[in-house]
Order: sequence, then C-alpha cells, then structure tokens
Amino acid sequence: MNEESDILEYLAQGGKLSAPDNAPPRYRAELLRIMASFVDSELAGAAGFADLINAGPGIKEKIASSRIVMEKIDHAERVLNIMGEFGANIARYMNVHPWRARVGRGEDLGAERRDGDMRLNVFHYPLDGWTDAVVMNLLMGQAGVIQLAELSHCSYQPLGETFNGILPRERRHWELAAEGVRKINESDPEARTAIMASADYWSPRVAESFGGARSARFELLCSFGLRHRGNEELRNEWQAGVDAFLAEI
Amino acid sequence: MAQFHPLRVTDIKRDTRDSVVVTLAPPADAQDDFKFVQGQYLTFRRVFEGEELRRSYSICAGVNDGILRVGVKRVDGGWFSTFANEELQIGDTLEAMRPMGNFHVPLKPAEARAYLGFAGGSGITPMISLIRTILEAEPKSTFTLVYGNRSTTAIMFREELEDLKNIYMGRLNVVHVLESEATEIDLFSGRLDRAKCDQLFARWIDVNSADLAFICGPEPMMLAVSEALKVQGMREDAIKFELFASAQPGKAMKRKVSAGAAAGGARCSATVILDGAVRAFEMDKEAQSVLEAAIEQNIDAPFACKAGVCSTCRAKLIEGEVEMEANYALEDYEVERGYILTCQSYPRTDKIVVDYDQ
Repeated sequence: MNEESDILEYLAQGGKLSAPDNAPPRYRAELLRIMASFVDSELAGAAGFADLINAGPGIKEKIASSRIVMEKIDHAERVLNIMGEFGANIARYMNVHPWRARVGRGEDLGAERRDGDMRLNVFHYPLDGWTDAVVMNLLMGQAGVIQLAELSHCSYQPLGETFNGILPRERRHWELAAEGVRKINESDPEARTAIMASADYWSPRVAESFGGARSARFELLCSFGLRHRGNEELRNEWQAGVDAFLAEI
Repeated sequence: MAQFHPLRVTDIKRDTRDSVVVTLAPPADAQDDFKFVQGQYLTFRRVFEGEELRRSYSICAGVNDGILRVGVKRVDGGWFSTFANEELQIGDTLEAMRPMGNFHVPLKPAEARAYLGFAGGSGITPMISLIRTILEAEPKSTFTLVYGNRSTTAIMFREELEDLKNIYMGRLNVVHVLESEATEIDLFSGRLDRAKCDQLFARWIDVNSADLAFICGPEPMMLAVSEALKVQGMREDAIKFELFASAQPGKAMKRKVSAGAAAGGARCSATVILDGAVRAFEMDKEAQSVLEAAIEQNIDAPFACKAGVCSTCRAKLIEGEVEMEANYALEDYEVERGYILTCQSYPRTDKIVVDYDQ
C-alpha cells in the first residue's frame, strides 16, 4: 500500500499532503525550493528596502516602509518554520546569506540564478532612491500577490494556508506602494518622468520572476499539484495590471 | 533538529484482530515536548536488521485526556506495524520525535461549528483525537463521522466511538460504511467512493451546513470525498487532508554503495571551515554525505532541502574531489568555480577541504 507512485498519482489528481513524511523525495525537494525562494526573496527584499526607510519623505512613508520591512521578515519566518518541519536548520538559516548584497544597477543577470541564496533575481538589483524603491514595490508587490495567490492552492496544505494568511498583508504592501506612487506623481509635475524611468528599469526584471513561458520544471510542479496556472498566464495578468495603473497616473 | 526521546510503553490494548492501541509515557525531562495539538502524529524510529526505519502514527487521544497513545494497524509486510502488533510489550521503550502535524484547525470554544470527518480504515486514528478534543473544547459544535471499513470486525475504536456518542449525546454522529457486509440500509454498505459520497450527501448529510471537513484514509478515498464535497459547494480551504500518517514512501536510509566509485581507501580525512573555525575529522567515503558527516561532528552546517534543490548547504571545495549525486541548484559557473552542494557530495579522494564561508 501507499507506494510512492500512489502518492504521485494522488497529487496529480489534486490530492493534498499535510505531513512532511508523506512527501516523496523529489516533491519534497521542489517544495523546499519554493519555500527557500520565498524566504530568501522576502529577506533580501526586506534588507534592501530597510535602507530606504530613511529616504521616506514624511512620517507616513517612514511608518509604511518600516511596516513593510517588518512584515516581510515575519512572512519569511512563517515559511521558514515549515521548512523546519522538513528538517531544515532554521536557526542557522538567517545568517547564511548576505541579504543586503546587490549587484550593480546596470548588470543583467537574466534568468540564471546568482550564486548564494535562492532569492528571485529581481531582488539582486539595487534600489536607487525613494521613488525607485516605491515603483519597485509597486511592480514586484503586484507580482508577489499574483504569485502567492497561485501558490496558496499548492498541494502542501500547511504551506498553502500560510501563503493564504500572508496574502492580505502582501496585498496591503502593494496598495501602500500604489498610494506612494500616486502621491509622488501628484507632488511634482516632473515626477512622472522619474516614475516611468523606474518602471522601465524594473518591469523586465519583475517579468523575469514569473519564469520561462515553457519550463520543464513547471510541468513537474503541475504534476505535483504545486502549481496550476502557467507562468505566461500569470505574467500577462501582472502586465495588464501594471499597464492599467501606469496609464491611470 | 530531529531529536528522539525514549517513550515507555505503559499499556498495549488489542483493538481489532490486526490493530493495537499503544499507550506511551514520555521521560520526565521531556513531558512538555510531548504536549500535542489534536490530529498530530508521532514519528518512531527502530532498527530492523541493521536498517533504521521511521514510521509515523497518529495520536489517538484528546489534548486534555492526559494520555499519549497511538493506534497501530498491522500492514502486510510492514516491519514496524507487525512488530508493534506481535512483539511489543508493556515496559518496552520506543524512540519517538515530539508530536508534529497540521491536521487541525484552531479551536473556537464560543462557536457552534458543524464538522464532517471522513475516515478510511486506520485513518480513524487522528479523527479520534479531533473528535475528543473538539467536542470537549467547543460545547456547541457537532461532529459527523463517516467511517469506511471492510467489515465490522475491522472497525478500530468501535466501542470507543459508541462511548463518545453517549457522552456527547446528539453532537457526535457516526455513519459506518462497510464494504463486505450487507447492512439494513444499502446506503451504508459498499466502498467510500465518489458514488457513495454523492448518495450520502443527497440523503443523509447536509454538506451546505458544514463548516469544515477532515479526510484521512487511502488516496483514492480522499480524492473521491474531496471531489464530492467540492461539488456540493464546499470551499477548498475548508477541507483538510491527511494521508495515513503511516503511508510513507519507503525510505532508503542508506545510500547504495557503488563499487569502485572512489579512489584510494574507504576513508577520507575531511576538513570543514565554517564561521572561520577549521575542523578536521575522518569520514567514510560512501556512507555519508559531506553535510551529514559534518553534522555528525556537531558542526552547525547550514542546510535545508537535503535533496540538492535549494542551495543552503553550498560550500566551496578547496581541495580534493567529491561526487555530487544530484544538483538541481548550482549553475554551471558555480560548479566550475568549485562550489558543491554538501548534502549531495561524497568524497572521491582521501582528503577534502570544504569551506562554507566562501
């Protein structure tokens, strides 16, 4: 009974798991990769944004950015705890990688994973001042919400539920960024140029975070019930949202 | 980190012909470690013929029952379950990790919730914990259990469920569905499959008024029940799944030794650099990965997936050669620069130097 192939068949048909011990080895590995990528992205994103708190022009902006930093670290911890149930050394995890480290603004990493941690490549690029940080948060915030909503249906139920719990707060981060961009835009007739320049810089990098249109890994993740909607479909949803917002301002 | 504690067997009760309920007492210094949440399980380890085997069994007690017990159904060819059913004695010791598992929702004592539970065979074990805990903690809630078995004699916790029905009069309903026995009502005989669920939901159980559903059993049953629930309009996030906790893929704890893979002797002198500290030790070239050997030396090496997928255990190989079994994480350029995933690396040379700090 309950051979690995039975569990894989169960997952392929939409079944869900709730205990680490039921996870077949490759499933476990891909699940941990998803979790590591999320945790590393949150920690790297928070570390990068923390530096910009001082750049916030008013007290509201400083409060909002502090809150975003704090909550992203909290979200990382929640998922890290699930990794711990799979045996990851979570006490050690926080200090393994230099979360603040960034590449040069002009470098192009493409889709190749940068050495070290598992953060999405978009979090390897440096922020360039307050407006740039808010625009990046707007674009990546929206992408994150779409990606989290997708993963909240994943077949590892404890992770799906955790992502479901994180989702409203990440959505709020995105809304705060949208309010921030509107405020910058209204404050200065010249601001739109800077906003569009940052959007041009970040758009391709955020778009990259959805993964390739055709990916063998995506097929595998689908068969595990870890993913459902295609990368391209998610990317298009994000692009439409971004276009609509930028057209509005 | 996975830590095992010795639990003393204080009682063994035969429940059905091929299942036992084992009561366990944690050691005095680990009492708090064994407080559990309803629906959680214990993972045991035991060496059979030189091979370590780990098996998980759901705790079948309420959180306030003051007792720790698991139900073990004998599985054909299952070493641990056969051992527990045939050899285990009161007074023996079993090694177990602290309770784990996520097959529960937070208790809400003030609410009147209607729960549905679907158990197949030994999938009843976590349900016992859920039923006992929920009905005690939420005085206004009800629980309807649909419980599938081959025959009456195979029903685990049959008497206990009757007792619970009497204690929680009107709040616990149990529907037995028996595969190989004709019952008075056709509805209650047969397999717990999609058609049976549809019939039950049409004539006996109102899914629309239910708040949450728990399902534990074999894979086809779980799929059938969840499909049927969703067709009735139940939201996906209101359905909680738990595969039989004991339904684990067979784990090969030891790596198969490939003859002649490594050069020189069977042992390797390894040097590990971590946080600026240099540690040297001897390790077997075949038996353990570099990461496992380092952990065994109490080196606090970083790791997460242990499957070559994430890159948490990445280190730079300064000297010597290793064989990496799997690498889904490192890019080619990292490998060229000498980076390895230590969880997947086995020494090929008599000496290796591995640096986690680079």
